[in-house]
Order: sequence, then C-alpha cells, then structure tokens
Amino acid sequence: MDFSTITTAIDNLLRTYMPEQAVILAECLLIALCLVLAYVLFAIVMIFMERKVCAAFQCRVGPMRVGYWGLLQVFADVFKMLIKEIISIKRSDHILYSLAPYIVVMSSVLTFSCLPFARGLQALDFNIGVFFLMAASSFGVLGILLAGWSSNNKFSMIGAMRSGGQMISYELSVGLCMLTMVVLGGTMQISAIVESQLDGWFIFKGHIPACIAFVIYLIAGNAETNRAPFDLPEAESELTAGYHTEYSGMHFGFFYVAEFMNVFIVSAIASTLFLGGWAPLYIPGLNAVNAVMGYIPGIVWMLGKTFFVIWLLMWIRWTFPRLRIDQVLVLEWQYLVPIGLVNLLLMTICVVMGWTF
Amino acid sequence: MDITFIDKKDVRTTLRKMREGGMDFLRELIGMDWGEEGLGVIYILENSCTHEVAHLAVRTTERQRPALPTVCDMWKIAELYEREVYDFYGIHFTGHPDMRRLFLRNDWEGFPLRKDYDASEAINPIRLTSEPPEDLQRSYEIEEDKEFAAIAKRENFMHFDEYVINIGPQHPATHGVLRFRLALAGEEIRKIDIHCGYIHRGIEKLCESKTYPQLLAFTDRLDYLSAHQNRHALCMCIEKAMGLEITPRAQYIRTIMDELQRIDSHLLMLSCAAMDLGALTAFIYGFRDREKVLDIFEEVTGGRLIQNYNIIGGVQADITAGWEVKVKDYCTYQLDKIKEFEDLFVKSIITKNRMTGVGVLTREEAISYGATGCTGRAAGWACDVRKRHPYALYGEVDFKEVLHTHGDSYDRVLMRIDEIKQAVHIIRQLIDNIPAGEYKQKTKPIIKLPEGRFSASVEGSRGEFGVFIESHGDKNPYRVKFRPMGLPLIASMHKILKGCKIADLITIGATLDYVIPDIDR
Amino acid sequence: MNNTYVGTVFGAIHSLLTGLKVTMKEFFTPKVTEQYPENRSTLHISERHRAQLYMPTDEEGNNRCIACGLCQAACPNGTISITTTTVTDSETGKSRKVLAEYHYDLGSCTFCQLCVNACPKEAIKFNNKFENAVFDRNKLMLKLNK
Repeated sequence: MDFSTITTAIDNLLRTYMPEQAVILAECLLIALCLVLAYVLFAIVMIFMERKVCAAFQCRVGPMRVGYWGLLQVFADVFKMLIKEIISIKRSDHILYSLAPYIVVMSSVLTFSCLPFARGLQALDFNIGVFFLMAASSFGVLGILLAGWSSNNKFSMIGAMRSGGQMISYELSVGLCMLTMVVLGGTMQISAIVESQLDGWFIFKGHIPACIAFVIYLIAGNAETNRAPFDLPEAESELTAGYHTEYSGMHFGFFYVAEFMNVFIVSAIASTLFLGGWAPLYIPGLNAVNAVMGYIPGIVWMLGKTFFVIWLLMWIRWTFPRLRIDQVLVLEWQYLVPIGLVNLLLMTICVVMGWTF
Repeated sequence: MDITFIDKKDVRTTLRKMREGGMDFLRELIGMDWGEEGLGVIYILENSCTHEVAHLAVRTTERQRPALPTVCDMWKIAELYEREVYDFYGIHFTGHPDMRRLFLRNDWEGFPLRKDYDASEAINPIRLTSEPPEDLQRSYEIEEDKEFAAIAKRENFMHFDEYVINIGPQHPATHGVLRFRLALAGEEIRKIDIHCGYIHRGIEKLCESKTYPQLLAFTDRLDYLSAHQNRHALCMCIEKAMGLEITPRAQYIRTIMDELQRIDSHLLMLSCAAMDLGALTAFIYGFRDREKVLDIFEEVTGGRLIQNYNIIGGVQADITAGWEVKVKDYCTYQLDKIKEFEDLFVKSIITKNRMTGVGVLTREEAISYGATGCTGRAAGWACDVRKRHPYALYGEVDFKEVLHTHGDSYDRVLMRIDEIKQAVHIIRQLIDNIPAGEYKQKTKPIIKLPEGRFSASVEGSRGEFGVFIESHGDKNPYRVKFRPMGLPLIASMHKILKGCKIADLITIGATLDYVIPDIDR
Repeated sequence: MNNTYVGTVFGAIHSLLTGLKVTMKEFFTPKVTEQYPENRSTLHISERHRAQLYMPTDEEGNNRCIACGLCQAACPNGTISITTTTVTDSETGKSRKVLAEYHYDLGSCTFCQLCVNACPKEAIKFNNKFENAVFDRNKLMLKLNK
C-alpha cells in the first residue's frame, strides 16, 4: 500500500478550494500537527514501555495502580507535570534558560520528521536525507549545553560539559556507521535506501561489515541519547540530575520527552538503515513466505522493528553500570572510531568487489 | 583494663617509642573529663602483628584553656579523633594542623561532654540561620613557659577562585547526611573537606544519664547495618564487667545472628555500590536477596532493621521452631544468587574499569588511618577482630580471614563477596549444632557495674566496633565511648581522593561503605 | 592474548554478554513484587513483629497490671506514663495502689522492648498490628487499659 495516493488525494482536494500559497501553508500546518501528535503518541508508548520493560528486568511488575495494569500511569504523570510550576532561577540567564528545552525538542522533532514509516508516509525526503538527519540530530547538544550553562548551577555545568564532550565525540561513530550503510545502499535518500532493501535487508546484504556497523551504531546511538551506560551528563548518583537539575514542570518534561523520543529516533534509524525500514522480510527462494510477508503493512514492519531495537537498547540500559567520562572517550576514540573506519573500508572493498548479496 | 598514666611532657616521647616499637594501630583516642582530676585523653594502642594492646592516658588539670600535645603525625587517624575531642571537651592539641570542630556548629558555645556543661537552651538555642562558614584552619603551639597554647597559624582552606562544589548533605550518593566540600579542576578533585555531624545525636552524652539496660536501645541506632554486632559488643562489655557467663545456646544464637547481619550489610553495600555506579538492576537484585535475610531476622527478633535482640545475659527471645531450616535454605539460595550478582556486576568489564586502581589505600596507610574491616583487609592488613581477639564462638568455628593485596575499590568489593561466602560457611557449621539450654541468664532489674574501666570490641560489618565504659559504681556509666567504624574510613578519604575524578568519589564512597549514624554518634 | 587490543575487545564483549544473559534470564522469571493493600489476606507478618504495645486481658477484661511503674522507669524516652489511684480493700482493710490510666505515646516509642522486659507480671506485650498511620498525632496517644 502506498500512502502517497492518500497524500496526493488530500493535496488535490485542497487545491480545488484554495489558492496555491494557502494550500502550502495548510499542508505545512497539517503535517506539523500530525508530526507532533505522532511524536507525543510515541513518547507516551515509550515511557510506558520503559517502565514495564525495566520492571521486568528487575523482577518487579512496574506501575499497576493507575488504570488496568498501570496503563494510564503516563497520562497521570503528564498531567502532574503540566500542573507544576515552572520555576525561574535567580541569577540564571533567563532567555537561554527558557530557550534550551525548546532547542532540544526542536532538534528531536526535526529528526523525527525524516523517518519513513511506510511507503509514502514520510514528511521530509530528499536526495541528501541522511546528511540532513545527522545535521538535525546534532544540534540537540546545543540545547543541553545551554541548559547547563544558563542554570547557574555547578552541577548542571559539569553535566553539560560532559554531555558536550560525549555527544560530539559519538556523533563521529554514528556518522561512520551511517556512511557505511550509504556506501552499501549507494544513495543518501532515505526512501531510496528503504526501496533497495525490498529484496533483502542491509544487515543481510552487507553481512559482516553491516553487522559490525549495527553493533557500533547501537553503542554510539545509546551514547548519543545519554542513556545508561552513557548517562554521565545526568548521572544521578554523581550530579543529581546533571544539566536539567534546575528545570521543573513542563520544561523538565521537554527534556524528558526529547530523551525518550531520541531513543525512538535512534532505533527507527537503525531499523531503516540496517533492518529494512518498512520493507517486509524477504528471503530469496521462498516466494510463498515472501508473499505472506508482503501482506503485512509496511507501517507494522517499521514499528515492529523499531520497538524491537528499542527493547534491545532497554536491555542494555538496564544491565550495565555507568562508565566514567575518560572511559567514555577512550571507548569512542580508541575503539569505536578506529573499528568504524576499518569497517567502512571493509564495506567499500566488499561493495567494489561485489561481495555483497 | 589497666591504664598507665603518663606525664603531659612525656606524651610524645613515650608514644613515639611505642609507635616505633610496633604499636602502629591507634585503636581509640577517648576524651575524658575526670572532674577534679582534670580533662584528659585515653589512648588504646595495638600492635598490628602481635595484637598486643596498651592503654595509656594523659591528663591536665587546667580547665579554662587545656592543651595537650598532638599525636596526629604518628597516627593519621588522630587528626579526626583529636578534632572530636576538641569539639566535645575543648582540649587544644598543640601541633595539630587543623583545630576545628568536627561535629558541632562553629558557633556552638561550650563543650558538651564536659561534666560541667550547661545544656540550657538559653546558651545554645536552636539556631535557624545557616552555619557561618569557617574555612579557617588554626593550629596551636605551646608558648614559652605557659600552660596554654597560642594560635600559631591560620590559613584558609578553600580559596575564593576555586571551583568549590558541595556533595551533600543532601545528595543521592553520600548514603546519609554527610557533606563533602570539593575544590575541582575540571572533573578532578583538588581538595576535600569533610563535614560531619548533621545527624549527631549525642548518644555518648545521653548514655551517661541512662541505666545500663537502657543503653541497649542506642547501639542498634549507631550503624544500623551492624545492629546485632554493635549490641553484641555492648552486652559483652557489660557482661564482662559484671562477671556474667552466658549460656552456650545464647553464644550460638549470637554468632549466627552476627554473621547473618554481616551478610545483610555486605549485600546492601554491594547493591548500593552497583546503584552508585548506575547499575540499578543489580541494586534491585541485591535488595531482593537482602529482603530474605530481613525476613529471617523478623521471624526471630521481631525487627527487620532495628532488631533489639541481644540483651544483657543472653538474647531477647528463643529461636522459633523451624527457623534453622529457613536459614539453611537461605544459605543455599544466597550462594546461588551471589554468583548471579558477580556475573551481572562484579565481573563486568565496566565495573572493573571503574574500580581497579581507584582509591588505593596501602597496608601502612590503612593501619595509620585505623581503617579496619573490609577496607583494611582489602589492603592486606589482617585486622579481623574475630581472629585477633576471638569472642563468642569465633575461636571454635573454622573460617578464613580473606585478604586481598591491592587495596583498591575493586578489592574492597571482592572482599565483600568473599566474606558473604565465609559467613555462610560459619552459619552452616553452627546452625545444626545449637545446644539446648537457656537462651538468657536472669539479671537483676537494676544493674550496677563495679568501679573500673571496661572495653570490648567485635568485628562489625565494616570494621572494628568497640565499646569503652568507665564505671564509678553507679547504675549509670560515667563515660561511654563507642569506637566508630566509619570515622577512620572517611578520614582515609582525605588521602585517597586527591587527584581522583568526581565519579571516583562516588565509587570510593560506595566501596568504603560508611554509615553516617555510626560516624555521627 | 588478553593484553592485546583485539583480546581486550573480545574479553570486554564476553563479560558484557554474561551480564546480558543474567538480565535476560530474570526477564522471564516470576516477579517478586508484593502488591500490598491487595495482598492483605496472604500477608505474613512475623508474630514477634513489634508494632504497638497492648495490654492482654483475660475473659473478664481484667489486665494484669499492678501499677508498679517499672515500665515507666525503664522507658528511655518517656513514652509511658501511668496514673494510679489508691483503693481500700473491703475485706482486709488494707489500701493499695491500682492502675487508673495507662498512657502510651506510640509516636515516640522506639520499640526497644525494655518496658516488656521490665514488667514483672507480663501485663504488657507488643502485637504485630502494623497499620498505624493516622492523620492526627493525637491519635497516637493511646490509653491501653479499658
């Protein structure tokens, strides 16, 4: 099923009633609304999932009180956060202080809009999509640095500095892994990358180098999103809450939601680049199976893979202790970057020699 | 316990001679107020190899401006001990580099453990303002031909241009209300200043107005993770003074309880170390297992944390039917689960990297700081009271005093794992052989100790816990002193924290495993 | 092997996988959470758990207290206060003290059991009724004798 038929139909419908400019404006607003709604929806699902999965790993049952099986817990939390006062801190840099959470959320929504949920169901798609993705995701660190700087709190400052050092370093590994897959796919357009996985996911096509890239991407992606074992910027046992120590109410909520959504985005990108995005499972030779798989809608494939990767990340998160800042940098610069570079070379050789499936 | 009084002039030469003669462990430094005979200090020294003990005392009749020479250049731990004595008795130690109060506020009037202290609220009202910061280190020197010491040096501890942050008193990783002031250079720690006393309850002062059975209520609330062992020490001390022999059944029960308490405490330490390093799942696993020990405690003692089990002459109540089976089942369960914990947390490469070589305390430093317990043994110092001065049944059961050599955080964690295994080993030897008989001896409702000084010490969960009682023959003690397990540990932080990162402070704090109510008695 | 670059990488991966295996196993084991108010019927509280002091009575509602005041004296923080009245025995004509009111401040009790130990008649005991939360501190001031 191609969602572009629906979007074209809506477009045509609007054009019959409105002039050109109004149509563009209306469509922009419509898309923004859809994006934000989807963003919030996924955030809610993610938060609930995190609680339940974390509980299961820890021999607990998780929230059980609000709603059946704790289903309404997240809504209660959001409601609580909404009615809380947004405290302004004395002697803080007020403008930057209030701006910071929005920058973080903006970066994350912008990245979110690049995700292909199904054929034709993608807000932003152009020929350097992967580049745009990396650029959009990397300015979130600016918000975190600003938050730490403007709070006028020494703990926040240390947290922000840590996250600056960490996120900028790990961007490198994320970029290298993406480049590895771009080499394999031969295009930077996200929709085209997914299209070329219809006859086999990249992780199978690219075999060894793709697997290595996948693992490095998961590690680096975890670090990008500041989650354990890389949660140093907000290491609660050292810095209480790191860069968002001084934030309250919905300003804190923005950081919280953005952090969860970044996990979703990292997982969605992983499933797009490595696990075929919305492309169904394709096994050469088994045509009957492939036909059955083809009946499952693309959006189910995409979300299924994404949540599987999210679950993997949660499994990692709830297993390992936290690293120290120097170890985080050693891991990146002494292990992940060299391995990533060699891996990129390996992938290039494989592609040039035609050793891919 | 016999005490040799030495002259004030000879303190340093005598003590130095003893120090060079092998008395390298300053077990206790007890401030005293003997009224007419003056203020003074009792030193309890021990030879770390032969375990020979010496008791010395020195006193001065001057009450207005008393001064005694410091010994903190011979034993590092004396630095904090002498500050405590200064805080409570107002004795200035000449030559001490940093004569500040340790527990009380800087604006406190008077010295509360003196017998003539006026506790009226008019003098020390509940102050609602913040404590005036005092960064001024003072040291005192003897003036020519004078009794009192004059201020010799003042210097600022923290300077204005330093990046100073407060870890605590409210901080998730200090395990209580302890406050560190750190001067940082980036992530690195340059200076450290420890502030204690946020929950000081003056238990030693309180003890002086209570009867002996009433003292028992306090010990569980010192180091709440060594509740049994603390109370065991106090009961032993009082029983020793009374000449009371307790029944074998009570001895067995006490020993088993001590070891269960040790497992409880070590499990908590391991879990909290995991939590401080960010491994929340390992923390929950540890606590899940610890619940089972607490259930076992509750079954017999009626309490989970504060058990009130040992009493003078035995234990509070007999063990319940079928309790032994539960303990044995638990031992099997725990050995299995400790392996799981090792796989998940201890053997993890991240933990190893975070802990190996972090917070190294050498054997000599450990002795000098008096850092007993797992901290000392991780550094290779055989400081287990159960082996040094066996009490209860520890002379008879078979167990190994595990020693490690590196003295770093990782060895301190391994020590705990090994000790849990040894504790299970001890319990298994005893649990099937509890002899029949009375579980307590009848005592008179009013207990009076004969005149004299008595002391007893046990191996608590995190070091040597000692009780010292001076009795003047009344139903109240004249002076009670508890040797804290935690104070030497935080004293050693001064040494091992320099040059570490903030994250290492958390690791070191977690592996030293101090409990604040034990420091702030 | 263990000290080389490659050795370190594989050693690290092995230790991390061991950790992941442990959490994966626990993911599927039954959970240990106890859901408190719902599990009241199956909740096990040890018989000896000390939750509050009470006075056991016989069938006629008489307690065994002789108003000797030992428990009051034994309490380290003044939790117990006893008032007595003097009654004259109608048969012998002797007057003796009897208990008028036995006040117990649950809020300041530290459950140290010294009062129970001090009592010569076993007139007071601890029970395990632990649900003592109230909204008003005055409700913690209990009168034990009826």
